[in-house]
Amino acid sequence: MIDIEVLSKLFNNYYYFAAIILFIIGFHTMLTHANLIKKIIGMNIMETAAFLIFVSIGYIEGGRAPILDEGFDQIYMNPLPQALILTGIVVAVSVTAYALSLIIKLYQHYGTVDADEIARIRSYKP
Amino acid sequence: MNLNYEHLPVIIVALLLLAAFLEPIVYRHKKSWAAPLVIASMAFFALSSLYLMAAVNYHGPFNYYLGGWAPPFGIELEIDYLAVFLLLTFSVIGLIAIVYGLQDLKHGLKDEVLGWYFTLYLLLMASMAGISVTNDLFNMYVFVEISAISACAIISIKESRECIEASLKYLILSTLGSGCILLATAMLYMITGHLNIGYLNDVLPRVMSHYPNNILISLGFFVVGYGVKAALFPLHVWLPDAHTAAPSPSSAVLSGLVIKVYAAAFLKVFLKAYPREIFLEIPVMEIVLFLSVLAILYGSIVAMVQEDIKKMLAYSSIAQIGYVFLGFSLMGQRAVAGGLLHIFNHAMMKSMLFLAAGIIIYSTGIRRIRDMKGLGVKLPLTMGAFTIGALSMVGIPGTNGFISKWQLALGALDLGRPIIVVVILLSSLLNCLYYMPIVINAFFGVKGEPELEIGKVPGVMLYSILFLGFGIIFFGIYPAPLLAFLQKTVTAIL
Repeated sequence: MIDIEVLSKLFNNYYYFAAIILFIIGFHTMLTHANLIKKIIGMNIMETAAFLIFVSIGYIEGGRAPILDEGFDQIYMNPLPQALILTGIVVAVSVTAYALSLIIKLYQHYGTVDADEIARIRSYKP
Repeated sequence: MNLNYEHLPVIIVALLLLAAFLEPIVYRHKKSWAAPLVIASMAFFALSSLYLMAAVNYHGPFNYYLGGWAPPFGIELEIDYLAVFLLLTFSVIGLIAIVYGLQDLKHGLKDEVLGWYFTLYLLLMASMAGISVTNDLFNMYVFVEISAISACAIISIKESRECIEASLKYLILSTLGSGCILLATAMLYMITGHLNIGYLNDVLPRVMSHYPNNILISLGFFVVGYGVKAALFPLHVWLPDAHTAAPSPSSAVLSGLVIKVYAAAFLKVFLKAYPREIFLEIPVMEIVLFLSVLAILYGSIVAMVQEDIKKMLAYSSIAQIGYVFLGFSLMGQRAVAGGLLHIFNHAMMKSMLFLAAGIIIYSTGIRRIRDMKGLGVKLPLTMGAFTIGALSMVGIPGTNGFISKWQLALGALDLGRPIIVVVILLSSLLNCLYYMPIVINAFFGVKGEPELEIGKVPGVMLYSILFLGFGIIFFGIYPAPLLAFLQKTVTAIL
């Protein structure tokens, strides 16, 4: 029998659920794919999932940006996670750029971006 | 009271970052100033760390609020005994490695990338200083990422095939670790609303019964994240290639300092942020203990069969980081002090061994252990220093390696775990099995058929390893002040 309580919890926190699924997809892609570009894509998916979870912590349904206005009965969202994730995105972009530049160098050496192929070429030419 | 030294931690990080980004400009327009600039910044780092250590030792630890914003809103730096201990270790070893590196790098690197190398080196140092002093989990994550990128780039700067491959492997696994750390931080922020380590420690006991899953997930991700970065046993696969391919000064810093800074971050998160009751319910420290025991045995056994000297040293690092984690995961007073002491001692020994290996490669071009027969006659001082390092790795009394192993063994006995002592003894014997043949071969081995071509060893390189060798003996004979300081450190943490 399906536990209604668990399902409703999942449904109410669907953004966390989605983030965790994305995280696992990214993790899996990063570790199992031989294609280096796909590894980097997986890395980005994984980081995006972590960002999503961080940002959704601060989200409140119907809340607005924390700018003090007339009337004090507003619901404000927590701006801190968003500010943190801006930093996180910058870090992720620079890591991606650096990884891609390394892959370009590897491609110049081997003529392929496939990790298995590279391993084969290496063992072929000792 | 006027505390004019309290801005110093921020100034250290800011100045290192500033010097890092000035370095390429200086190198392009005024080439002869680039090397003095990097030495001057590192010397400033070392001197101010020494001053901070004296100040903290005299006046006690202090907290610094960045921009004057008090926590929980602002970022807090906590300059306690642990932070100054780490700062001093990193700065002194870093200074020696770069003084050595100035000669070695001209030999190993292309001329136009030397300025960039200094940039990366200073960035690495700045991020390690940042990790040491920060008291904020997200701030720590940012510094961890900076150090990950600069550590990878410091390997790939040689642009040979091996370096690029090793660096990419390191980068991918390191990013995996960062992702795990970020997710774990998110889990803690979700249930407590704090990123400050001190506040987390206050709030977590109250919320831990309501959100057991979050705590469990965060613990798991932190272990994996910091484990990958510090090369804890099953997550170490990137380390041997990366540390072998890098230029020698980089290897010394990567093996001696960079993996340690993540172990220290692990200590900060697990023993300062999480309340101790959690470890009674969730046996995560037992798992780390088990992994570190495996790391000690595995690293030593695999190191025995290596042919390349730098690869052997790299595998030995996997075993040695096991000691550090062993001390931390036992969570006893003397065990944690032993782990911290091993950070300092291993930083000295391993950087000296890597630098000595660098001299051997620099002057003879030999990398294979088998070819090192009779080298002790040709390079007596280098091999003499190597011998001191090897003895210290084995843990012969009179060297600093003995002191930290002794502390760890006593710490294990305090907690009633004699089996750990057996592991430490066994690993010492294994260390003996792979370090001693090199020493014996070098001094007593019969020379190979072709006469070795010995290039001239620059004095600076030789003096830097002799200085480290002197440090190994000094702290092996006179460890009392260091031990007393670590006693205070540990009392403050536990």
